[in-house]
Amino acid sequence: MTTAREQILQAVRDASGRGEHTADSVEQILRESEMLLDGIDICRPALRLIDIVDSFMARVSGPKVGASIDRIASLSQLPTAVARYLAANAKPAAITLQPTSPLLGLDWVAAGVTPVRDRDDGVVVGLARWGIAETGSIVVHSAPDMPILHNFLCSTHIVAVPTQRILRHLEDYAEAARIAGDPAPRNACLITGASGTTDIEGSLVKGAHGPRELCVILVDGVVQV
Amino acid sequence: MQAAGSSFKSRAGAALADATLKSAIDRTAGNAETKRAAAVGEFPQFDEARKLGRRIKDHVIVHLEHYLIEFERNALRSGAKVHWARTSEEASRIVVEICRSAGAKRVTRSKSMLGEEIGLPHALEAAGIERVETDLAEHIVQLAGETPSHIVWPAMHKTREQVASLFNEKHASPPASESIPDLVHSARQDLRQKFLTADVGISGANFLIADTGAVCTVTNEGNAELTTTPPRIHIVTAGIEKLVPSIDHAFALLRLLVRSATGGDFTQYTTFHCGPKRPGDADGPEEFHIVLVDNGRTRMLAEGLAAMLRCIRCGACMNHCVVYRQIGGHAYGATYPGPMGSVLTPAIDGLANSRDLPNACTLNGKCAEVCPVEIPLPTLLRGWRDRSWKEGLEPLTVRTGIGIWAYFARHPFFYRLATAVAVHWMRLFRKGGWIAWMPLAGGWTQHRDFPAPQRATFIAAYKAMRKGAPNDNGT
Ligand code: SF4
Repeated sequence: MTTAREQILQAVRDASGRGEHTADSVEQILRESEMLLDGIDICRPALRLIDIVDSFMARVSGPKVGASIDRIASLSQLPTAVARYLAANAKPAAITLQPTSPLLGLDWVAAGVTPVRDRDDGVVVGLARWGIAETGSIVVHSAPDMPILHNFLCSTHIVAVPTQRILRHLEDYAEAARIAGDPAPRNACLITGASGTTDIEGSLVKGAHGPRELCVILVDGVVQV
Repeated sequence: MQAAGSSFKSRAGAALADATLKSAIDRTAGNAETKRAAAVGEFPQFDEARKLGRRIKDHVIVHLEHYLIEFERNALRSGAKVHWARTSEEASRIVVEICRSAGAKRVTRSKSMLGEEIGLPHALEAAGIERVETDLAEHIVQLAGETPSHIVWPAMHKTREQVASLFNEKHASPPASESIPDLVHSARQDLRQKFLTADVGISGANFLIADTGAVCTVTNEGNAELTTTPPRIHIVTAGIEKLVPSIDHAFALLRLLVRSATGGDFTQYTTFHCGPKRPGDADGPEEFHIVLVDNGRTRMLAEGLAAMLRCIRCGACMNHCVVYRQIGGHAYGATYPGPMGSVLTPAIDGLANSRDLPNACTLNGKCAEVCPVEIPLPTLLRGWRDRSWKEGLEPLTVRTGIGIWAYFARHPFFYRLATAVAVHWMRLFRKGGWIAWMPLAGGWTQHRDFPAPQRATFIAAYKAMRKGAPNDNGT
């Protein structure tokens, strides 16, 4: 008895009228698939501003993404920037930190912010791996020090991203992840704004299931992620 | 919602008479149409991007066997379990069995049209497993005991007032008001705990990435990640046409999908899921299953419908369809409504059960104009009409009517005579240039007036013009 797998593959083979694949034909398919992307520049939006960091910032704070943006000179200034954001938005100064050493090593208490364990519907502060200027997205990868749920269960999502890691286009992220040796983590999340819905009469409401607001903080200087 | 066993004609009739439905559709589809136009306007590369999107999908379809095998190999390497299903029943059975063997009592589900196509909601219920729909629109549809009426906005047929009364009745803490933010907040509260206590999370896939074995989901709500991360098991159901060679190819298609679907540039949450929780991972499912579903797709490939496998389920064709905008999704009586549904349904459910759908089209071509992967929908619809005729599926009344028309078309004298008589007859009922009622034309005049014909037929006017005599318009 043939299995479902064999039957489906046979049906595909019959429909395409092809024989078995050879190493050469596989090589040819790979070449064709790469060639498809050869002229990608004329198929993707050009950045509005010359500088990719400026473009990223404009995109994040623009109407399509609708997040807050800040920029600091070094990671040590992050607690103060977070405290400033929380005070300006009348939020309690209690945060849940992503359990990653660059953030855990900062002096939060001196900035008047209390790290807490509860992450449900509160404020979460995390560190993104990359930012993408084309879309204004930040990218996080699942890892022992990156719980994916952190990014989804909070009400206020604050994410620091190293300025050096702002990339031009979506494809540049794919390349950067390959170079970093992490092209396919269990979860790669491209986050582009707060959780929103247009499911009732097409009208946009923020805070559908996840964060009601997103704040992106660019960090200049050297940051270990 | 469609009545079981009712005909397309009666469902469409009921939908046309429903003024609330019309205003609900107009609010969302109108919005979507405007936003898409703005997004495409801001993306001058759209035409080139569209050509690329089409080429990527065509490349995958031509080499589908290679990509299926490559995807499977990489998915297995990531620790996923890959299942293959020939039919909808087989696919549902696989999912239910995984849930059962895990002793699952509650499953959360992130919106997937394929899940609807294979009848998964019903199969889970029949197995006694609690199903929680987590997409807001699917949540509304589930509470109302209905089916989706649109592939992107499943609750498009509901007005905010209707949603408010539904939530008032069904939510433990009802909404504070009928305002849309209060309704959304009410659903957030209702669903939060359910996300965290589910045994299994089920999602669809917008793309399957062949070179990594990853699965891409896109949502604006973040419900896909909340569905797939907390439970012990994540099950993906995906059609075999969802493959792309790499994440780079997925990005090229995502640029088209989002703009065409919602008029955004990129969804809030675009996530690639690759295998189960890894050693040391802070969270994530321990088991990751992917069910690859055929359900008519290889038949489409073999029977000249390969172009339809390019579809990325953006919904633009229905938002721009004059028929969909009048009758909504339920009147189509199938999982997929609108132009793409009228092509897909005969392939999935059989032409004999759905021959009305390809006929419910004006062939105005708007759907093909907006389709981001250049699917020639009107041509494919005409193909189904042709087949329906050849297979003798058209009813006797239609065959007789067309036979009579063909007779006149072949006998110009009688044709001219008949049209001249018809023109005079019709003019008897005109009032101010319009016909509001006329015997045998109730199907038309019940919903809109018919323009009264000019005094002479086209041929008569043409002849008169050739002779230099003034025509009916005095020109
Ligand atoms: S047929 Fe084209 S326009 Fe319609 S849903 Fe599919 S991709 Fe979108």
